[in-house]
Amino acid sequence: MPTRHILIIDDEDDIREVAALSLESVAGWQVTTASSGAEGMRLAAAEVPDAILMDVMMPAMDGPTTFREMQKLPELARIPVILLTAKVQGVDQRRFAGLGVTAVLFKPFDPLTLAEQMSEALGWS
Amino acid sequence: MSSTKDPEATRKLLASLWERSLPVLRERCALLERAAAAAQAGILTPELRAEATAIAHKLSGSLGMFGYPEGTDLARRIEEHLEDDGPVDPPRLTQDVAALQIALPL
Repeated sequence: MPTRHILIIDDEDDIREVAALSLESVAGWQVTTASSGAEGMRLAAAEVPDAILMDVMMPAMDGPTTFREMQKLPELARIPVILLTAKVQGVDQRRFAGLGVTAVLFKPFDPLTLAEQMSEALGWS
Repeated sequence: MSSTKDPEATRKLLASLWERSLPVLRERCALLERAAAAAQAGILTPELRAEATAIAHKLSGSLGMFGYPEGTDLARRIEEHLEDDGPVDPPRLTQDVAALQIALPL
């Protein structure tokens, strides 16, 4: 897989660390992390990653709200976003998919195959 | 950054992250235990129930990635039980929290 730059936005330290470890060590991608939607938007504007992996449930500004705010800014709107959620019920899945994100992946993810799942969702494979 | 693509090396790194996460995981399980005890005593407040629901949600999303899928299943069961609009079933909550603690090497 070619080198990619991914921005991970998640308020949970362990999820952020495992996702970063997974993408760096398994795929060799460059990873930047943010612990809130606001910080994620700042980093996305500054670093323009190839894709964003973002948690749904976060305090202050959740994933869907952050995504909608990004869509208002042309420089951020073109970055593909994958939402990450522990909600497995169909109604939640349809709601998240209806936002217009590139894909919705589910927690817990397998650290050994996360990059592969993302590549597939992003059409990189 | 170069790719290791070595599952064993990645597993070792994951194991070290698990070790680092243990104090937080223990705190989270203790909170679920407090919520179950409060439910048994009939004093589970809406605030503690909401906090326990959020904690169960976090656990359901993380335990499986560390290799504890049964922990994820139990945490999800606890989350769905607590976020249900109906009253809490104290024996069931206590049993599920105990099973969660047994499923994890804390």
